[in-house]
Amino acid sequence: MNPVSIDTELTALLQALARVGGPIQWALLASAVFLGLVSFVPSLEKIRERTLWVVVGLLVSGEVALVWFHWRLYEITAVVSPVTGETTGHVAVSLWVESEKLFVWALILGLMALFAKRHRPELMPGVCFSLALLTIGAVLWGQPFTDPLPQFLGQYRGYLAATASGDINAAVGAYQGMEGSRAYYYNTWYMWIHPPLLFISYGAFVMSFVATLFMWRRRHSAYEETAYRWARLGYLPLTFGMLLGFPWAILAWQGDSWWWSGKVNMSIMMWLLYTAYLHGRLYLRRKGMWRWVALLAMLSFLVLVLTYLTTYIVPGAHSYA
Amino acid sequence: MNSTHETTAHRRSWDFGLTVATVVLLGGLGLQSFVGTLYSWWATRQIPLWQQAGYYDFVDVMNAIAAPQVLALVIVMGLCVPKRLFSRTALVAVSAGMIVAGIVAWAFTGSPAEGLTVYLVLAALIQVAVVVMTIAGARGPSYLTEGRLTKIGSGLLHLGFVIFAVVVVALQRSPFMEPVFWTSTVLITAGTILAFYADKFAVRRTRRVVAED
Repeated sequence: MNPVSIDTELTALLQALARVGGPIQWALLASAVFLGLVSFVPSLEKIRERTLWVVVGLLVSGEVALVWFHWRLYEITAVVSPVTGETTGHVAVSLWVESEKLFVWALILGLMALFAKRHRPELMPGVCFSLALLTIGAVLWGQPFTDPLPQFLGQYRGYLAATASGDINAAVGAYQGMEGSRAYYYNTWYMWIHPPLLFISYGAFVMSFVATLFMWRRRHSAYEETAYRWARLGYLPLTFGMLLGFPWAILAWQGDSWWWSGKVNMSIMMWLLYTAYLHGRLYLRRKGMWRWVALLAMLSFLVLVLTYLTTYIVPGAHSYA
Repeated sequence: MNSTHETTAHRRSWDFGLTVATVVLLGGLGLQSFVGTLYSWWATRQIPLWQQAGYYDFVDVMNAIAAPQVLALVIVMGLCVPKRLFSRTALVAVSAGMIVAGIVAWAFTGSPAEGLTVYLVLAALIQVAVVVMTIAGARGPSYLTEGRLTKIGSGLLHLGFVIFAVVVVALQRSPFMEPVFWTSTVLITAGTILAFYADKFAVRRTRRVVAED
């Protein structure tokens, strides 16, 4: 293993990603801003629909570029023991960490929007506006093509630098850190299942939230039914995804009181609220109950947004900015 | 006839009471989580070295506040199980019996976790009976939901949650943790799918029958 040549390969890969993804990023930003602007203009309905297709098309193209980037990253990022000189493996960074989280959420919501527009076209202004906000956030905040995976690359390049320094203690420390990250985070099966399940649920909950707003405004039970249908679609992967986190958390964070870390805490709260919403809905026929159920649904979504933001603002086991 | 109506009405109000208790407890824990998160956000910024020095005190306080709520939630969850099977009077007796059994186990072993485990295992056994009776089409179990598949789904997912609670309370360091955990996960997931989408399965089955005709 030659750390210098790996670093050079990494640099070339990042430049290639920026060349391919840079234009996609700018086109996404422009089309998302436009989508946001035309979302609530009834006379521009056709333009809105075409713009939605453009945004989703760009998100899919971007995801294809990111899949290629991750594959090449896996091939390049070898981890070698400084003691034995043997390669212990490569780092399999999943497609939904760090700078790519919002991008995946936007992609999933975009695909759901295409599906939903045939069934509930009146929800599309709210859904398109939400998609526009997510996409703008994914591009400006995440910068998945021009500043990808800052935390991972920082750690891996630190490991390369320590290996190249000739200081065996520094090299062993960096190697052990890299192996720990590989074993308990990057290369675990869990990281390939838990986050996408949650992003599918987040996408469905956006749809449910928009339908709930409609119900609150128009007071029509059909919107309540739509909100429920999307909420149950979101609740299933949310529950399954969170359950999968349990044995992994016991293994990876043994000894830590991980259940009170900010993100876990908020995620449990979000699940509790959605559970309460689905239970409350059983009594929808009681007088005035729909108001409480709708308020619970809106509160649940508010907590979902806060849960997402918690990753970035509250320190804890999930803090991968 | 009147007595049947009365029993149904009692059951419904008991169901509603337990649902409200569940929602209130879930909401209480949710509120505590929110306040805890806000506090840790504030403390990280305002108190020097809070994560190294103050975090463990914070965890102790949070655990102490959550413990009675979690205990109450587990008890309510246990009460939700026999409600499907017993009349109101028998339900009170069965519930009281389960709680007494839990307290006896606690007193005998000196561990509240052991007491909770006994209570949850009893709840799981009753829930197994409920699920078996529902699958067999027996008239005993009462549900708020309509349709046999929905009821089976509801029964399975509640059984899954009771078993998951057993894992959390008693099996975290046990070699049985993984198989029992996966059993609960499969039950919860399959039960949720059935409870949510039973109408779709029912439509497909009806269509197939019609096609065969």
